[in-house]
Amino acid sequence: MAEASTAVATPVAPSMPKRPGTLKRLLREPIAAIALLVVVILVLAALLAPWLSPTGPYDNDLSVSLTVPGTPGMMLGADGQGRNMITRLLYGLRSTLLMGVASVLLGGTVGALVGFAAAFYRRVDGLLMRIMDMLLSFPAILFGLAIAAIMGPGIFTIILALSIATVPLMARIVRGSALVVMRQDYIEAARATGMSDARLIMRHLAPNCLSPLFVFATLRFGQVILLGSALSFLGLGAQAPTAELGAMASEGRDFLFFAPHIAVIPCLVIFTIVLAFNLLGDALRDALDPRLRV
Amino acid sequence: MSALLEVSGLAKHYPVKKGIILQKQVGAVRAVDGVSFTLQRGETLALVGESGCGKSTTARLVLRLIEPSAGTVRFDGQDVTRLDDGGMRSLRRRMQIVFQDPYASLNPRLTVGDAIAEPMAVHGIGNDASRRAKVQELLALVGLRPFHAERYPHEFSGGQRQRIGIARALAVEPDLVVCDEPVSALDVSIQAQVVNLMKDLQARLGLSYLFIAHDLAVVKHMADRIAVMYLGAMMEVGTKAELFARPRHPYTRALLSAIPHPDPSLRGSVTPLGGDVPSPLAVPPGCRFHTRCPFAQERCRSEAPELREIAPGQQVACHFSESLPEVASAQVGGLSAVAARRLALYDAARRKAA
Repeated sequence: MAEASTAVATPVAPSMPKRPGTLKRLLREPIAAIALLVVVILVLAALLAPWLSPTGPYDNDLSVSLTVPGTPGMMLGADGQGRNMITRLLYGLRSTLLMGVASVLLGGTVGALVGFAAAFYRRVDGLLMRIMDMLLSFPAILFGLAIAAIMGPGIFTIILALSIATVPLMARIVRGSALVVMRQDYIEAARATGMSDARLIMRHLAPNCLSPLFVFATLRFGQVILLGSALSFLGLGAQAPTAELGAMASEGRDFLFFAPHIAVIPCLVIFTIVLAFNLLGDALRDALDPRLRV
Repeated sequence: MSALLEVSGLAKHYPVKKGIILQKQVGAVRAVDGVSFTLQRGETLALVGESGCGKSTTARLVLRLIEPSAGTVRFDGQDVTRLDDGGMRSLRRRMQIVFQDPYASLNPRLTVGDAIAEPMAVHGIGNDASRRAKVQELLALVGLRPFHAERYPHEFSGGQRQRIGIARALAVEPDLVVCDEPVSALDVSIQAQVVNLMKDLQARLGLSYLFIAHDLAVVKHMADRIAVMYLGAMMEVGTKAELFARPRHPYTRALLSAIPHPDPSLRGSVTPLGGDVPSPLAVPPGCRFHTRCPFAQERCRSEAPELREIAPGQQVACHFSESLPEVASAQVGGLSAVAARRLALYDAARRKAA
C-alpha cells in the first residue's frame, strides 16, 4: 500500500518485475509444496496401480494370511485372506480417490450452482433452499440405501449418494457468501455496465466466493472418504473382493488385536490423503487470492 | 434541445408485509416519494439532503438499478422505465455511476486494467489491443501511471481507487455520470484532488453529473444547480448562486446553517432543527417538514405544498417561502467561515494543478 500511494510522487520504473504466477506462489510455501507432492504421488500410485502392484488385486494365498509387515517379499504384510497389502492399498487408493474426488466435484459443483442461483435470483431463493433443507434432513446413509436399492451396490452408488449429500451443504455455504458479495458496490457497478447475468456471476460473483468454497470442498473431501468407508462397511459400496481403503479398514477390524496392521495401514493412508488435500486446499485458496500477493 | 434527463413523479415504495404464509401489506417505506427534476447536457445537478432522505435511492432509480414504483425517467427522450432488457443494456453505455465507497466498488479479484476495460468489453467496443490502449489513456486521464493497470485494487489508496472508479465509469464515454457521494469517504485533502479531477473531466468531455452529496462545500464547488431533498421529496431546486444567497425553504436554510462553526460567538445566531427525521414508514401529513419547521403554521399540517416556481429557475415546496424572515447574516454567502475556507482550499489546489 505504502509503495502504491507514493508511486505518483516518486517515479517508479515503469517496467515492474513480473509477478509470480499462481503455481509459483503456491510452491513458495513449503507445506503446500509437500502437500502437492504427496497428492501427486498418491494420484500417480492410484493411476499406475496395475503396473506397480507385485501381485494381482484378487490373488490370495491363505498360507501367508496375516503375515506381519516387514516380512521379506511382503513389506506391508498380508491381510486375513492372504492378499498382499501393497497391492490392496494401491487398488484401494484408486477406489477411494475416485470416490472422494468425484463426489466432491459432482456434489460441490451442483451445490455451488444452486447456491449462486439462490443468491442471484432471489425469486427462486426460497424454493431452492427449502429443497436443500429437505435433502439436508436425510442422512447420507439413507441416500446410499435408496440408491443401492435402485442401482445395486457399488462404487458409483456411493459416489451418487455422497454427491447428493454434499449438494445442500455446498449450496448453503455458497449462498451465504454470495449474499454478502451481492451487496458489494462492485456488483452494482457491474450491473450498471449492462453485462449479462452469466458474465456477472462468472467474473464478479463466483471469484469472490472462492475462499469458503475451497475450505468446505477440502474439508468435505475428508468427510466423504470416511462416509464412503461407512457405506462400504454397510455393504452398500465396494463389494467384497474390490479393494477400497475404508472397506479394508473395516475388514481389518476382526483382526485388530492380533494383526493390527490390516486396519492401521489403510487408516494411515486415509489420514495422509485427507491431510494432504486439506493443506493443498488451504494453500490454493491463498494462492488464488490477489489480496495476499506480495 | 431537450434536457438530457427528465425525471417526473419518481417514487420507490418498499412494501412492509406481515405474516408468514398469508402475507398482507401493512404499510410502505416511502424511500422516494414523487421526485421530479431535469438535468441539462453538460450540467451538474447536486442532490443534497440528510442521510436516509432518498438521495442514493433516487440515483439508483435513475439508472434503473432498482425498479421504480411510479413515475418516469426520460433519458435523451427515451423512457428508461419502460425499456426492455436489450434496450436497457445499450442505454447503460450512456449512463454510468461512481460510488461512495472506493473500497467496495472495485472487484478485488480483477486487476485495475481489467476492471476499466470490462465495460468496453461488455459493449463490444474495440478489440483487446485497442481496449488496452484506451485503459492507458484513461489511467493517464485520471492521473495514474501505465503500470498501475497490472495491479490489484488493494494496492491503492482511497483517492487512487476513487480515480480508478471514475476511469471505469468513463471507459464507455457516457453522457451522464451519476456520482453517489463520490468524495464523502475520502480525506479532505484527497477530496480536493478528486473533485477537481471530476470538474476538469466535465469540461473536457462534456459530461453531465447527477452529483449526490451532503457536504455543502463540495456541492458549492461542483454544482451548477442544487436540488434539496427531505424524506423522499424535493424541497427546493435552484441555481447554486440563488440557493446559497437566498434559500427560500426553511429546510434549505437549516441545512446551510448546520455547517459547524468554530466561533462560539457566532453560534446560536441560527436555531438548529429540533428532533429527528420522521420515519419514511409514516410520512407526516401535509408538508412533510412541518414537524421540524420553525415557521410551521396550521396550513402546513393539513395541506402538502406543491413544488412551485418562485423565481425563474428556482422552485420551492413551501406555502410561506415569500413571508420567511431574512437569512441571518452570520453566514457569508450562505457558507460558514470554515466551509468557505475549505472551498478556498479546493480552488487553490485547482490553480496549483493547472
